[in-house]
This record gives sequence, structure tokens and C-alpha cells, in this order.
Amino acid sequence: MNPWLLSALILLAALAPCGIACAVATPVAALAILEVASTLTTAALMALSEGVERQPFIDLALVFAVLSVIGGIAFARLLEHDL
Amino acid sequence: MTWRHDVSHLLLAGGVLLCLVSVLGVLVMRDVYDRLHYVGLAGYGALLVAIGIVVQESFSLIGDKALATAAILLAGGPVMVHVTARTARIREHGDWRGPHAAGDDPDERA
Repeated sequence: MNPWLLSALILLAALAPCGIACAVATPVAALAILEVASTLTTAALMALSEGVERQPFIDLALVFAVLSVIGGIAFARLLEHDL
Repeated sequence: MTWRHDVSHLLLAGGVLLCLVSVLGVLVMRDVYDRLHYVGLAGYGALLVAIGIVVQESFSLIGDKALATAAILLAGGPVMVHVTARTARIREHGDWRGPHAAGDDPDERA
């Protein structure tokens, strides 16, 4: 296992406590945790694409980054008045 | 193993460390405003990972797109933090400007 795959594994493992915290936190605090988790997932996808030496896989990270920013803003706007 | 591998692995380790610190911070902090400080930190961790890819692969397909991904996260992070903090203020006070603007200021009622 090369360092890139190991890093991706560590980053993906760090998503588990984020998921647990999201389940027990208030909605807005859970949104903050979700934003950190989405950044972590993007970093993990970048490390995975380098680790498996499939360069086009970086597109997944790029698309995920765009969608996570848009999704975070959309969730925040919807949560302003309890959905 | 060239110097590029060493530097990229160092940057990768730094990026992962920053991401883990941001996870720890967002889990340990109690207030939502305290938690929001760590959203930006995770973005810088992703930036270090992207720079590590660029050092290893140079400005190729994967290097350019990794930098673009990090740039999106860095540009979008403060926006997400601002919108989330605004949402928290609205849920607490009814208005993002605070209790005075929402009309439920206890001093004003007295």
C-alpha cells in the first residue's frame, strides 16, 4: 500500500466520527460537521486518484468539490427556517 | 525515490494532519460558531494534498485538476462558513442582525 492509498484510508476513516457527530448534533452544528466531512472526502478522492494511478479519477474530486460547496449553501439556506 | 516523492509525501502527510486536526476540532467544540472555524482549516489540508500531487506529477491532467479542486474548496469555504453562521443567527434570533433587529431584545421591551 502506497502512502497515497494509506492517506485516503485515514481520511475515509475520519468520516466515521463525523457521521456519528452529525447524528447527535443540532441541525446547524451537523451542517458544519458535514462541510468538514465533504472537504475530507474531496481530499480522500484526490489521494485515491493518485494512489491508484488513474489520473481521470481526479474528475470525481473536482465534481464533488463543486457539488459540496453548492450543497452546503443550499442546506444552510433551507435550514434558516426549519426546512 | 526522487526528491519529488519525498516532498510530495511530506505535503501529503501535512494535508492529512490538517484534515485530522479539523475533524478533531469540529467534534470537540461545543458551539456551532466554534465548530465553523475548522471548516477553513480542512480546506487548507486539501490544498496541501493537491500541492503534493502537483509536486509528484507536475502540471499534468491530474495536477491541474487537483489545484482547481483545492481552489474551489478554498474559495467556497468562507462562503459556506458565512452562510452557515448566518443560518445559526437566524435560527437563534429570527434575524441575522441579532435580537435587536428581530424585535425580541429584552432591553428594548423593558
